[in-house]
Amino acid sequence: MKYVIIGNSYAGLSCADAIRRFDKSGDVAIISDENYRAYARPLISYYLEGKTTDETIWYKEDDYYEKNNFKLMLGKRVVSVDTVSKKVVLEDGDELYYDKLFIGPGGTPFVPPTEGFNPDSPMMGTFTKFDDAKKMEKAAKFAKNKEAIVVGGGLIGLKASEGLRALGLHVTIVELLPRVLGLALDEISGNITSKRLNENGIDTATGETVTKINLDESGNPESVILKSGKVLKADIVVVGVGVRPNVGFLEGSGIKIDRGIIVDKTMMTSVKDVYAGGDAAVIYDILNKRPNIIAIVPLACEEGRVAGTNMAGVYREYPGGMGLNSVEIYGLPIVTIGLTNPSNESQKVYMFQDENVYRKLVYDGEVLVGAILLGDIAGSGILSAVIRQGLKCLKYKDEFLNGNIYSFVIDSEFEIYNINEGYAVRGDFEDLPEFSRTNWR
Amino acid sequence: MQNNLNKNKLTNLKEDLKKNQIEIMLYPSKCDGCETEGFAACVKACEAHMGKKYGSKYTGARINIKKKSGRFFPIICHNCEEAPCVDACMPGARYKDTESGWTVTNYKKCVGCWMCVMSCPFGAIERIGAGRFASKCDGCIDEGTPKCVEACKKGALKRIGIKNYSYERRLMVAKKIYGPYIKSVEKR
Repeated sequence: MKYVIIGNSYAGLSCADAIRRFDKSGDVAIISDENYRAYARPLISYYLEGKTTDETIWYKEDDYYEKNNFKLMLGKRVVSVDTVSKKVVLEDGDELYYDKLFIGPGGTPFVPPTEGFNPDSPMMGTFTKFDDAKKMEKAAKFAKNKEAIVVGGGLIGLKASEGLRALGLHVTIVELLPRVLGLALDEISGNITSKRLNENGIDTATGETVTKINLDESGNPESVILKSGKVLKADIVVVGVGVRPNVGFLEGSGIKIDRGIIVDKTMMTSVKDVYAGGDAAVIYDILNKRPNIIAIVPLACEEGRVAGTNMAGVYREYPGGMGLNSVEIYGLPIVTIGLTNPSNESQKVYMFQDENVYRKLVYDGEVLVGAILLGDIAGSGILSAVIRQGLKCLKYKDEFLNGNIYSFVIDSEFEIYNINEGYAVRGDFEDLPEFSRTNWR
Repeated sequence: MQNNLNKNKLTNLKEDLKKNQIEIMLYPSKCDGCETEGFAACVKACEAHMGKKYGSKYTGARINIKKKSGRFFPIICHNCEEAPCVDACMPGARYKDTESGWTVTNYKKCVGCWMCVMSCPFGAIERIGAGRFASKCDGCIDEGTPKCVEACKKGALKRIGIKNYSYERRLMVAKKIYGPYIKSVEKR
């Protein structure tokens, strides 16, 4: 069996692992357009901070590819996929035949039309790849006024500005929405986050966009003009607005695309033997109850695993995922799970706030559908499990708000195991009801 | 018959160890949180041992006793088969040790993004240390009896082989269903 995997990151590698679990002898080729073996892509901002280095940024151990007998093809861009004769065409003209194909191309950064933006300039760029981080590291050394502008106050923008700040630059985040992390946070938590950023030398200009970048004679940015007419000095301009599925090369392949790659329950695309996953796949959103692109690491791994299992011939379904994310900003941990801003009137919001901690729960009837935790995130995984399974837990509302999230686990564990029974922390309990590991996914 | 029973009943801890089939077994009902002592013995033992094992930078207990209305429960890693924390780990710091089957952590890679804290359905991962790392029980697989089990004088934590475990569990279920009518083999 010949497996070809496009994309050498979370989804692709998780798929390769799943294939290897069931098929020890099949040929697995992994294609990447970058020149690095798999690295932790979301960590490039930590690279600027020095929290991760050239030695520790690699996602897998050094001998991962040899040990698992994966053929790694670096620096090869896929230009098209021929699903009729089952081959992948590479940029250099090579053709790769496959029996089963996995597409995990991830996303390409989206750049809103901005006058003067030129990604080839050494002082401007997007922020999604290792090369981008290295470029910014160099650029920071040449910055005369030590001023940087980051367009976009989402996770990419926030982490990019934190990284640039660590390089000694003064950073201003320009965000279109009225707060940072606008899609995930609400007003209160957004303000707390902004305050924390401002205290640490990162300014936030919310409700703003960059309309023009003024360039000097060598083509590098000098200043930016905002929508409000304000002019800000800028040595470095980073655009981190978001990513779009990287699906351009699939045109004419017959694979159904609607924003992202459409997949069924088994992660197979509309074409037989072609599977997809990761940031480019449209999966079922269990909270919004509609197909959606959810570009986060845990789901990419899950999707890749389900796809790989099916590719190796073992049937497995993917039940769908939900959006959740966590980040730490200058010692302030933030976790957002599910629907954090109520979308209709049937949803009720409960909040708790004191000096350092903010908790918000969104209930739809008796079911918890979303949560924000700021400051104290202990036990947040329990909430995400509860939300994902759609458990009724309105009676735990007060305990969740007060931070006694563990009480839910204690109750369910005692319930399941009957207070007098012991049990091991590893093993298979096929017969157990709800809150057990086996149906966690 | 009697001989036969004895031969088959008891599992050989050493043999299980070879196959890496050793578990930490919880008896939550026996746990009283060491309330009279003022601190939980297992937590203290784990903290001291982890400091020694991983260095002072990564010290912090990997086990936690949580209380709810008089009932105590040791919160500890359940070692999921397809662990959500491994999926969620962005730097690839957490991985499955293929030899022992335990989910372990390479703390050098951890940057403190809290994706695993957010994913663990048991709340068994916590932020620890000055450098803010995500700590998780590693089962003390490379050592003898885990220190938490050693420290527990109440019998709430037990180290047990997988065969023995399955036997005990079957016995428990049988006891639950038939109550006093079933004779405990242990007491024989």
